[in-house]
Amino acid sequence: MPTAYPLPKNLSPATVANTASLIRIVALALISGAAIASRLFAVINFESIIHEFDPWFNYRATRVLAAKGFYEFWNWFDPTAWYPLGRVVGGTVYPGLMATSGVIYNLLHAINLPVDIRNICVLLAPGFSALTAWATYMFTKEMKDASAGLLAAAFIGIVPGYISRSVAGSYDNEAIAIFLLMFTFYTWIKALKQGSALFGTIAAVTYFYMVAAWGGYAFITNMIPLHALVLILMGRFSSRLYVAYSSWYAIGTLASMQVPFVGFQPVKTSEHMAALGVFGLLQIVAFAQLVRSHISSQQFQRLLVAGVVSIGVLGALAFVLLTYKGWIAPWTGRFYSLWDTGYAKKYIPIIASVSEHQPTAWPSFFMDLQFLIFLFPAGVILCFRELRDEHLFVIIYAAVASYFAGVMVRLMLTLTPVVCVTSAVALSTLLDTFIDPIEPEITDDAQSESGASTTSSVPGTNGAASTAPTATSAAASKKAKKAAPAASSEPGLKLSDVFASSTVKTSRPRGIYGLDTRVMIVFNTTLVLAFFVSHCTWVTSSAYSSPSVVLASTNPDGSQHIIDDFREAYYWLRQNTPEDAVVMSWWDYGYQIAGMADRPTLVDNNTWNNTHIATVGKAMSSSEEVAYPILRKHDVSYILVIFGGLIGYSGDDINKFLWMVRIAQGVWPDEIQEPNYFTPQGEYKVDDSASPAMKNSLMYKMSYYRFAELFGGNPGQDRVRQQQVPKVGPTLDYLDEAFTSENWIVRIYEVKKEDPLGRDLKSANAFAHGKKRKRSKPAPRRRAIV
Amino acid sequence: MKFFSKPLFALLSLTFCLAAAQDPRQQLVDLAKAGNGVIKLDSKTFEILTSPKRTWEFEPSWNAVGGAWATVSKEHRDNHFFATLDFDDGQIVFQKLGLQSAPVVYVYPAAQGPRAPASGKTSPLKYDFSHGFDAAPLAESLSKHTPIPIPYRDPIDWAKYISIATGVLGLLVTLRFISPIIQSRWTWALGTVAISLVMTSGYMFTRIRNSPFTGGNGNWVAAGFQNQFGQEVSVVAGIYGLLAMSFLMLVMVVPHQTSPARQRAQIYLWSGVFVIVYSALVSLFRVKNRGYPFKLFL
Repeated sequence: MPTAYPLPKNLSPATVANTASLIRIVALALISGAAIASRLFAVINFESIIHEFDPWFNYRATRVLAAKGFYEFWNWFDPTAWYPLGRVVGGTVYPGLMATSGVIYNLLHAINLPVDIRNICVLLAPGFSALTAWATYMFTKEMKDASAGLLAAAFIGIVPGYISRSVAGSYDNEAIAIFLLMFTFYTWIKALKQGSALFGTIAAVTYFYMVAAWGGYAFITNMIPLHALVLILMGRFSSRLYVAYSSWYAIGTLASMQVPFVGFQPVKTSEHMAALGVFGLLQIVAFAQLVRSHISSQQFQRLLVAGVVSIGVLGALAFVLLTYKGWIAPWTGRFYSLWDTGYAKKYIPIIASVSEHQPTAWPSFFMDLQFLIFLFPAGVILCFRELRDEHLFVIIYAAVASYFAGVMVRLMLTLTPVVCVTSAVALSTLLDTFIDPIEPEITDDAQSESGASTTSSVPGTNGAASTAPTATSAAASKKAKKAAPAASSEPGLKLSDVFASSTVKTSRPRGIYGLDTRVMIVFNTTLVLAFFVSHCTWVTSSAYSSPSVVLASTNPDGSQHIIDDFREAYYWLRQNTPEDAVVMSWWDYGYQIAGMADRPTLVDNNTWNNTHIATVGKAMSSSEEVAYPILRKHDVSYILVIFGGLIGYSGDDINKFLWMVRIAQGVWPDEIQEPNYFTPQGEYKVDDSASPAMKNSLMYKMSYYRFAELFGGNPGQDRVRQQQVPKVGPTLDYLDEAFTSENWIVRIYEVKKEDPLGRDLKSANAFAHGKKRKRSKPAPRRRAIV
Repeated sequence: MKFFSKPLFALLSLTFCLAAAQDPRQQLVDLAKAGNGVIKLDSKTFEILTSPKRTWEFEPSWNAVGGAWATVSKEHRDNHFFATLDFDDGQIVFQKLGLQSAPVVYVYPAAQGPRAPASGKTSPLKYDFSHGFDAAPLAESLSKHTPIPIPYRDPIDWAKYISIATGVLGLLVTLRFISPIIQSRWTWALGTVAISLVMTSGYMFTRIRNSPFTGGNGNWVAAGFQNQFGQEVSVVAGIYGLLAMSFLMLVMVVPHQTSPARQRAQIYLWSGVFVIVYSALVSLFRVKNRGYPFKLFL
């Protein structure tokens, strides 16, 4: 048997196996370390702080859980959210994340490690990313082998598409959900392969955990039935499938209904109907199989098939009827908008307004997945080559997830695991092919020149194809000889993917001649991987590690300058306002105000009440006179706006303003109209040419109040919109400026109480400024009557 | 600019005195009848209709909506008028309204009488075309201003149904001839890979955002990281496909080569393709993301 490079001869198979398993363990440990370490940029560059918006609510809820115990948390009614409505937190939240942190917290305290709950929350996501790497390893191992598994684990450990949602401090549901997703899929594949009710049950339990943790569980709820359905349609029904699916579905559904937020949805909404339908279909098919195995008559079998089909059709019709009658809720807007992409913008602008619900442009894909994105199709093709049951799963997953990721940036997260798995399969197949030391025998006539000149290890005489087991029969003209079985005893060195399984011509030997090409390919692959690692490091450190509560910029000398306006303003609120002072802001900042300032808010990031949000939008987009009664009716004491015009912070409220207008317009189309906020030329302007509606809106006034004065007579420049603001800034009659942060990012206004003398605040203000009341301007309505 | 039309819709309040045959309302009724529910305006009639003393309401609309309104019973119908104004017939009006583009839809509420809005706002309202130019949303939106909702229904798209039916039938017929193709795994593999490639190249972005195919002047790369043109989809999908193919060549085809020389040539060829195309991809990415610090050979 010729080899391209010398192999040690005196190794026992046991030694090789033991060494391989040790290397695997060490590699997994290192991968876990890398996964955790790369997520710590945020802590190192900034501090141990909760990031962004939603995590602040999760953190607040976890603190309640840790301080008061699980039952208090479960019954927690939060009167400060959605003032004056309040929020039943226990019933409107996926508690898995908080429960996980609570368990870890209590565990650590039980062994006398007094860790602060905040640090647990901050480090939960990196910790779970190590588990995700392990789950991906197990999953990929089922697809190909352990070496592909290690590659996949390494990929998912450092790929930016996953890091973006799991850096330290990003304490969100996705932090644990991706681990649960991959582990559920792994146990499902395992259950399917072995027909094991045990693994089916484990899949159901992790599915329950997933349901408790993330709304994205619906992805599993539909992926597994889809896989099962495709298997049935391809005629791959087996009792293994039946056992796996039934145990998963029955236990998983019952368990998921224990989560209060989910409740009876699994039997009442369309999102879950696919799972139920496939469950029913499986029972019918299993019954048919059973009957078929007991009877022989051809006609009766036909009758049986007809019966099964008609039962299936009847069942489908029953679903349609139930949906039509309203017993089964139709698709909710969030899911529906994935199919009809124009739907959300038209009917649920709140969903369309969220930046992570925008469609994905290709640079985002490349940024998040880099070279994996084009190994991914190659891996899918390799899955088609073998096409075992579990490969079908990956194929379906690939097609579905790439569509979803294209529709919403946020769903890149569900695409990332399958990309890692398939590209690991592809890359490991490449490495297998080119590292495998066995050289096929030269069968070409021109062997003497080319074969001899290339390498030192000229193919020997008795060599044979390494992998094609029956190489002899077909290639009669060639000199192929019998394949030496067990060409090498090392499992890692075998070509594991056997082309023989497919029907294509396989009888010829396969393998790589020579050493130079092997070295070149391995070298190339190493370079590509190194590039990938530097890309991931760069993306993670530069793009995904900012807490967004604390901003960073660089000083002229290159040192880091921290912009801490948000916390400055929130702590001002906490220390200078009464505890029951209601703060109004756009919903993005609701959780942060509740978490950091501890004040009641009108709306927050749990956008369940569109009308309430539209009320805030209306107040922000109407004039002071219109907004004031709204503010007073809602007991608003302070209004908080985000303004980036001074330092060029583009995520400010003026840039979000159009969404406020749109959402308000959805509820009050007669009073708020989006075109009124544009100039006649259709431009969105804040300078002198801004439309009157824009200039009079509360949001504009609050943002630019006294802004022009900063520039001391020179024209003021808005650095976000690159426009010059009017020299004479807006005036406020119903509000008082209460606080403006260092860089003007956060501005807080106090709502004036009614005038003690009963005047309207405008004339009271004019009086205070010593202006004469103009009596010469009666209301135009009266004149019309005359 | 001839096709830029500006339909208008007018409401006459019931309190308006029926004076004479020259009464503007009667004129409008006649005109509306003549135009199948839509009045053809010029500068002069526009002045009459939008006079400050108007007791009727104007709303522009599309002929489809106007036609639907024509089916409403007479007592309601004669209170509203749809009207259009061509640029050629009413340049003054366009100047007066400061219009630079068309189509534009204005809703003129009644200034007097019981149909006047409760808010007292009589200034014309502009209809927002940001959701597209379909008739259905327009009718829905205008129904807020009419005494009864406009009975607009989408015309049944027979062509669509017929083509779907023919397509299904044709598929069923050809199914038995092409079933070996459908049952081949490689057909499905190609389909799946095509879906993945197109989707990961931002196809849905261009569809949802209605991106143009190119930017004009031969500029086909949209500026900005979160933006792209239609042509970028095909280019990027092609690059990804080429890279994946060269990779698959190395994995699936090259090992079956029986001649060492030919195999070596192929390996170097496909590796070269891989490296060059990958470098091109990275430099394309650098165009989109100016701050990207890495580059390969290009």
